[in-house]
Amino acid sequence: MDWDNLELKPSVLLAVKKAKIQSSKEILSLSGLELQTLLKLSQADVLHLQKIVAASIRKTPAITALQLLRGECPSFDQTTKLSLGCPILDKFLRGGLPLVGITELAGESSAGKTQICMQLCLSVQYPQKYGGLGAGAVYICTEDAFPAKRLQQLISLQHRLRPEVPVEVMRSIAFGNNIYIEHAGDLESLNMCVSKRIPILMSRGLVRLVVLDSVAALFRCEFEAKDAIVKAKHLKTLGAMLHNLSSSFKTPIVCVNQVTDAVDESRLMEGNFGILEKKVLPALGLTWSSQVLIRLMVSRTHLSVQDRFPQLTNHLWHLGNILRTMEVIFAPHIAQSFCFYTIGMDGVRGIQANNAEQASTQNI
Amino acid sequence: MQREVASLALAPTVKAKLIGAGFLRVGDLHEVSATELRIETGISLQESTEVLQTVFPRSHEKGSEMRWMKATEILEQEKSCRSISTFCAALDAVLGGGIMTGKMIEICGTPGVGKTQLCIQLAVNTQIPESFGGVEGHSVYIDTEGSFLVDRVVDVAEAALQHCKQQHGRTGQLGALENFTLETILSNIFFFRCHDYVELLAQVHLLPDFLFKHPKVRFLVVDSIAYPFRHEFEDLSARTRLLHGLAQKLLQLASQHNIAVVLTNHMTIRMEQNNSTLVPALGESWGHASPQRLILYWQGKQRFASLTKSSRQKEQMVPFQITSHGFHDVQLFQSQVTASISSTSNTTVNARKRCRVEDDDDDDEHENCL
Repeated sequence: MDWDNLELKPSVLLAVKKAKIQSSKEILSLSGLELQTLLKLSQADVLHLQKIVAASIRKTPAITALQLLRGECPSFDQTTKLSLGCPILDKFLRGGLPLVGITELAGESSAGKTQICMQLCLSVQYPQKYGGLGAGAVYICTEDAFPAKRLQQLISLQHRLRPEVPVEVMRSIAFGNNIYIEHAGDLESLNMCVSKRIPILMSRGLVRLVVLDSVAALFRCEFEAKDAIVKAKHLKTLGAMLHNLSSSFKTPIVCVNQVTDAVDESRLMEGNFGILEKKVLPALGLTWSSQVLIRLMVSRTHLSVQDRFPQLTNHLWHLGNILRTMEVIFAPHIAQSFCFYTIGMDGVRGIQANNAEQASTQNI
Repeated sequence: MQREVASLALAPTVKAKLIGAGFLRVGDLHEVSATELRIETGISLQESTEVLQTVFPRSHEKGSEMRWMKATEILEQEKSCRSISTFCAALDAVLGGGIMTGKMIEICGTPGVGKTQLCIQLAVNTQIPESFGGVEGHSVYIDTEGSFLVDRVVDVAEAALQHCKQQHGRTGQLGALENFTLETILSNIFFFRCHDYVELLAQVHLLPDFLFKHPKVRFLVVDSIAYPFRHEFEDLSARTRLLHGLAQKLLQLASQHNIAVVLTNHMTIRMEQNNSTLVPALGESWGHASPQRLILYWQGKQRFASLTKSSRQKEQMVPFQITSHGFHDVQLFQSQVTASISSTSNTTVNARKRCRVEDDDDDDEHENCL
């Protein structure tokens, strides 16, 4: 901490240096009285010192919500969102994923979480004009191997999924090269990846999306029930690291989560089941839920697309067969709601249902 | 029993002169200036200033006179305290009108239950013009979690405007709404983003100056105070100390500047022998930091608010809901429920709130966008 650059009286400066105070954290963490005793300064001097130190940390002035809306502050961009690559899903999520914060994607296996993540890894690479962020993605695998073949298939069919993007723009993006795949088999390697390797990629502007598939895998096997406190601590630390990354580089973080059966008493206390009937809840409990900005739950229904939307299958032959739902469990700016989607050869597509159809299938 | 001058820590000659002049007890020195003391006792001006400073340490600082307030004065002051509505009439009733200016309240709840939604609603409602029963003040929103999304603020502000315009239709107060527009509402919410506890501490140190420059601020929220303090602290007693220090400073600001202060907190699970309970986070002693505590929770698919700690109200639970328009009561009129359920059931399970907004049509359009 460079004390000389602050506007301090010489006597105060001397006292601070003599007491060997290294950082602003120390000045602000001590109470006025403690500082007076430590530095042997008057109350007025200490107050002034704390104010000057505080001002050096909080250099940016207050901004108003109006300035936020108008995008007048470069450090807070709330108007840009990361598109999911499908206009219906984007509309459902009010534009897409916000740039700062953790979006959780929870669901049973084969619900479609990995598919959605892969689609995001491709959509982030388009220019901002087409809903992307003009950079690549980091995909951290903690359980299965990365489905490389499926990625190739998705890349080859991007022109079908994204017809609005001009061919030359699409040809100019080397999709495969911009996705950095990491394997993290345990917490230590995950921490190493998140704290050391990813920031390097981000500071070079190479990535603007981090996908962690999945968070649950690492925490459910490494910790037993009795280690609840240790597990909570690690979850909070991971959450804080991810938040830091996200804010520093304006990068969305997507975390895939598994689900557990909703029978446990303590899980039921947390509430927030969403509007669809469910037998499962996101894993990892309350500690993790507090780190998450947006919680989405995806699941397969037992219906096929033809059953529920017979009029659609005539025109849209590339829809997958199985009808799936994406539900907003909580989000600061989206009400609890759900949307249908399918997974076809070219990727994930939302289905626009009118409200009568949606309401009648609410209890599937 | 007042202290005798003879027992004070002063030079013996000075004491002798004081007693000789008739100042036997501390009470005799009340309301005596240094000059008067010098004349009466014959000690020098410097010595008499020292005497008074020893006896009354604070009274010589500018503007910090200790003034006794009678209980009746305090009662009058409290009656004139304004309150900010939550737009949920049942909750307002439990709170004694709404969130009170000059006081602090803590709002706890699990993720997604609606703490941030309530804070945004309050930040908007603070600005309601006085002729509509509001406090017509500005708001400060300190966000530590990144959940203040301006899209949502716009929704809530627009709905609040609609609500007031409908009221205007009945009371005919057009003029008051001139300064209550979407732009003014948004421009009067001051936003600070703090990424860790040091930034939060720094921001709170700078608040007094900010509040002097913005005297119209009537609402301040820290959403949440829990997040920056739940990791990084090995030494929990240090954490408690910092938290209490923060709470003290904010309480002071609340009463000095007549601001309603809201702090949001997380919930955590406390394991006892055989069962686990959901309790507010940040520890037992934190529970004493805030004079009032509101807990938001789920019971099945219904949200409830319960005022669990208050010196003035008894414990009560009220249902509420959150729609695209913001924080509301739960709808009680069955006929309106069945009419709207077929077209709007994709947004909430519960009956929709319509007790203030008469016609559903515009709102249905709005709902369908989601």
